[in-house]
Amino acid sequence: MDEFRIKSGTILPPPSLVKENESIAGAPGKVTKDFSSLLQEAINDINKLQIQADEAITKVQLDSATSIHEAMIALEKADISFRTMMQVRNKILDAYQEIMRMQV
Amino acid sequence: MDFLASFKICSSGLSAQRAKMDVITSNLANMETTKTREGGPYRRKKVVFAAAPLQGGFGGLLDKALSQVKVEKVVAEEGVRLIFDPQHPDADERGMVAKPDVNLMEEMVEMLAASRNFEACVTAFDATKSMALKAMDIGK
Repeated sequence: MDEFRIKSGTILPPPSLVKENESIAGAPGKVTKDFSSLLQEAINDINKLQIQADEAITKVQLDSATSIHEAMIALEKADISFRTMMQVRNKILDAYQEIMRMQV
Repeated sequence: MDFLASFKICSSGLSAQRAKMDVITSNLANMETTKTREGGPYRRKKVVFAAAPLQGGFGGLLDKALSQVKVEKVVAEEGVRLIFDPQHPDADERGMVAKPDVNLMEEMVEMLAASRNFEACVTAFDATKSMALKAMDIGK
């Protein structure tokens, strides 16, 4: 999710904009990744956390040496990251529906 | 994600307090143990904690300020309690038996401290989680 952070305190223009028009005033540096690949990466990260949570809970069930709190923390991490992803999805869908409602 | 740093610290605190609890339980269970594999009575164990730098935190200055806890070592105390009991199989020629120097009250207080500390870590975790969830409500 680190990629979502705003770099050096300036808001980046959308990557598609930068590609079409390189001479945007005040565009900080070159944007190498587009939004869909960033989203893909974020979803992969979240999936990784889900898998870790699965593994942790399996370990607790099979092997008594693993501590419960670590499994619970893994579950919570997965929970929060998933909720974050759902919020991003909701926002994207909202924007999409707003565009679809536009009068032509 | 930035809240993962405090989750990590919470996790280390929980592990440390659990390790302390294990040591206390061992002390309590062996209050009357006069035989050990190393010879002599059981020695009271104490757990020593150390601060460990947190990797993968916020980065920069705050990263240096944050540290998680880890169990440095478990040390055995030297002292024993000599009790006069000539009938005991482990009594020496003067009829004294060396018993572990475990004070029940002390162990109970340590146990309370460990369990309260554990609870505090869980509370900190819950507070962090509710902060993260609250942040998701922005703009709703």
